[in-house]
Parts: sequence; structure tokens; C-alpha cells
Amino acid sequence: MNLESIKTIINTVLQNRGKQEVESISESTELRDDVGFDSLDLAELTVRIEAEFDVDVFEDGIVNTVGDILAKLK
Amino acid sequence: MNSLFFFDSSNNKKYFWQELIDQIHDSKEFNPFCKSDDYFEVFKQIVISILLEEKITLLDSDFSHEEIFKLTGLEDYKSLQKGIDKTKLKHISTKSDLIRELKNCSDQWEITLYTSGTTGLPKSVTHKFQSFTRYVKISESNSNNVWGFAYNPTHMAGLQVFFQALMNGNSIIRLFELPNDIILSNIQEFNITHISATPTFYRLLDLKTKTFPSVLRIISGGEKIDLNKIRELNKAFINAEIRNVYASTEAGTLFASQGDQFSIRNELKNFVKLVENELHIHKSLLGQSGFLSDEWYASGDLVEIINQDPLVFKFLSRKNEMINVAGYKVNPNEVEEVIREINGVNEVSVFAKKNSVIGNIICCEIVKGSEELTEADIRKYLQSKLQEFKLPRIIKFVSQIKTTRTGKLKRK
Repeated sequence: MNLESIKTIINTVLQNRGKQEVESISESTELRDDVGFDSLDLAELTVRIEAEFDVDVFEDGIVNTVGDILAKLK
Repeated sequence: MNSLFFFDSSNNKKYFWQELIDQIHDSKEFNPFCKSDDYFEVFKQIVISILLEEKITLLDSDFSHEEIFKLTGLEDYKSLQKGIDKTKLKHISTKSDLIRELKNCSDQWEITLYTSGTTGLPKSVTHKFQSFTRYVKISESNSNNVWGFAYNPTHMAGLQVFFQALMNGNSIIRLFELPNDIILSNIQEFNITHISATPTFYRLLDLKTKTFPSVLRIISGGEKIDLNKIRELNKAFINAEIRNVYASTEAGTLFASQGDQFSIRNELKNFVKLVENELHIHKSLLGQSGFLSDEWYASGDLVEIINQDPLVFKFLSRKNEMINVAGYKVNPNEVEEVIREINGVNEVSVFAKKNSVIGNIICCEIVKGSEELTEADIRKYLQSKLQEFKLPRIIKFVSQIKTTRTGKLKRK
């Protein structure tokens, strides 16, 4: 699991929505404030992460940053 | 006293009650169809419609031209604009004048909104002032309430909050579709006392171990809320009572519960019944809708009875196919119909998958008839035809959609 694969998933969601893709992300990137995700985007993100890594990152509480996702996938 | 009527941090605009009144007097034209992404504009148009005793229809700000045509049959609703008879507004110069006039709302006034129909297109539901404000509680003790506004202003839940605040002369602070930090700072800065929102809104609210002592009431409705979240809300909103409400576009708010068990108030006892565990609501509690001819309306909500008399129950699931996405109802048939319009789509099935963020997420499977059709083509087409929350987020191409024995498409 690395930043690059999270970035790919984030960009798939952004692309699907017709939004500008992100060029780089870090652990501190905020999904809502920096990436611009709304609740529907976050929902799609969790489905795509779950399909790939078999973990529902939102299951037990809120996920704000890319670092939060990485922590759940460990 | 010039008190705050509405604050919108998305455009940083503050409107005082006096400004609302001044703007009402300055309005020269009125359109019976209201479509705006500016919340204040929607609120103002509703107030003007009541004062003028004119019917008003609310359109979601993200309805496409095509959707509006399908719903209303109108090519150009903007042309319905007409001049305002100012004599009806002349008695209003203060907030209390305005509220008094609103209370005297004529029986002619009607408000129409759209909700997902159970077959195909959304349907219109029309309410009179009386049925609309049945649950508005006006009292001196409510006069200093400050409402956090966390719904779409053109939907039933948002309108109920709006009327509750309006009729009590309260302040309304927008919280919907704003960054988390702004939501939190708005609650603190304006000393918000009441928040009404969907479980999705609360799920995505990061409370950052802060506490918000000004909040006295948290209302959740539209979907099931999880007990973990309730516990977390209790910690942050230390002085708040947490209420769960059952409401529908057809009936407005009907029942409230403190956990997940709902009971029926005595005065409503004879207007609600259960038929094979499905909640039925008497038509006298509902707004007018074209398709409603029976005396009882089958809500489609299946319940588990906890106690027979007095009736106490829990909501279990939906009987019909409607999908609840973050509190918005989506009809999979409507989405399928639009997807079928796309060239190169042979078959389609739209279904829900459970989701920890928004309750359910819309997915679809498509059998293509043309190799050239791409996922991007489909998304592009749908974006211009359907509201955002109705769009399938996960699209899969399959070689075959499994049908049930009766030949109907199977919902997963």
C-alpha cells in the first residue's frame, strides 16, 4: 500500500465526477478541504478502496486525511 | 431590534430581518417557480409567495433544463414572471409585522415540491400552509433559538426547519455543504442552539474532541443513525437532547424518538396504522399528490412492533425499491430509464450497495451493444440528465445481467 495507489483511486473518483485531478498528495492531504471531496465522493472512494484492499476505511469513524486512510490499511 | 435572519458562509453574506423586509418591498416581480442555488433567495421567494397569496413551486437548483421540462411541462418557466401587487405588502415594516402576516396565511397559498416517485419520474407533492406548518411550534421559549441549517432548502426537511425558524423569528445559520472547520466555527460563533440534519451529515462531522455547549437540541432524520455516532454526538453536544425523527415529503415530520424506538403521539393515533408491518398514513396528514387516490398511503417503510398499545415500533427497511442515499431517495427505475437512452446500452441494472458514509451507494451493471461505448461516455451523458445524488458511482460492464424467474431484473 503506498501513496501512489491512493492517488490513483482519488483521481479516478475526481475524473468520474469531471473534476480536476490532483498532481501530488501527501499524508497530510485533506480529502475534503484539499482534494474537494463531498460525501458522495467519499462514499465512492471507500468502495474503490474496499474493492482493492478489502478494508472499509470509514467503518469505525471519520477519515479526514490521506494519512488516516493509510493508517486504516496497515 | 435588528436581529439576524440568515448567515451564509459560502458567500459570506449576513442578512438581518430588516434587510429581508426591505428586499421584499424592493421586489418588483414574482415567479411562481423558484430555482436558485442561493438559499436566501429561496427563503425570500417563499415568504413573498405567502404574503402575495401566490402558489409557489420549488425546483432543485441542480435540476437540468430537461428535468424541469419533464416535471413541469414548461419550456421556459422564467417567462411566468409577473409584476407584484404592492398593496398586499404595505402593512409590513417590522419583524413582528412580517410574522403576524405569515400567520394569517391564506388558504389559497400552496407550496409544491418534487420527490422521487416510486415509478419512473419524480412526482410533485403540494402542501397548504396548515399541513405544512402542523409541527411548527411557536412559543416565547423558542424565540431565541438559533438554527444550524443542514439541508437542501428546496426539500421537505429543509423547509420544515426553515418554517420552524421563520415563524419563531429565529436566526438561521447555513451549515450544509460547507467545510468542516467552518461548520464548527459557525456553531460556536453564532451560538447555534438547534441542529437538524441527516445521519450522513453527522457521520461526516469531525467534532475534533471539541464541545459545543450552546447546542440544546440535535435532530436526526431521513435515515437510520448508528448508536456509535449518537454516543459521539452526546460527548460533543454536552447540553443537547438528541432526537431521531421520521418524516417524509408526503407527510412532513410525523414521529420522533429518542433512541431507535418510535411512538405515536395520541392525537395521531387514528391516522397511522400498520398493514403487514408496513406503515400506512392517513391521507388527511398528507399533501396533495396526483397519484394519491386511496384513503391510506402505504409509506413503503417496514417496521418491527415493540409494543401494540400504545404503539411503539422500530424502522427495519424499505418495502419498495427506493434507495436512500444520504437521506435523498433515489428510484433505480428512473436511473435505469435514463441509462437506456444511451446509444450502445443493451441492458442495465441499477442497484444499491451498503455504504458506511452515505448509507447506500448507487451502482449499475451494463451490457453494452457497442464496443465503442466507454464509462466516461455514460458518465458524461448522465451528468446532464440527472441530479448528482442519483448518478451511479460505480459502473460495471458485464456480459449478462441475471434476471429473476419472472423475467424481472433482479435487484441485489
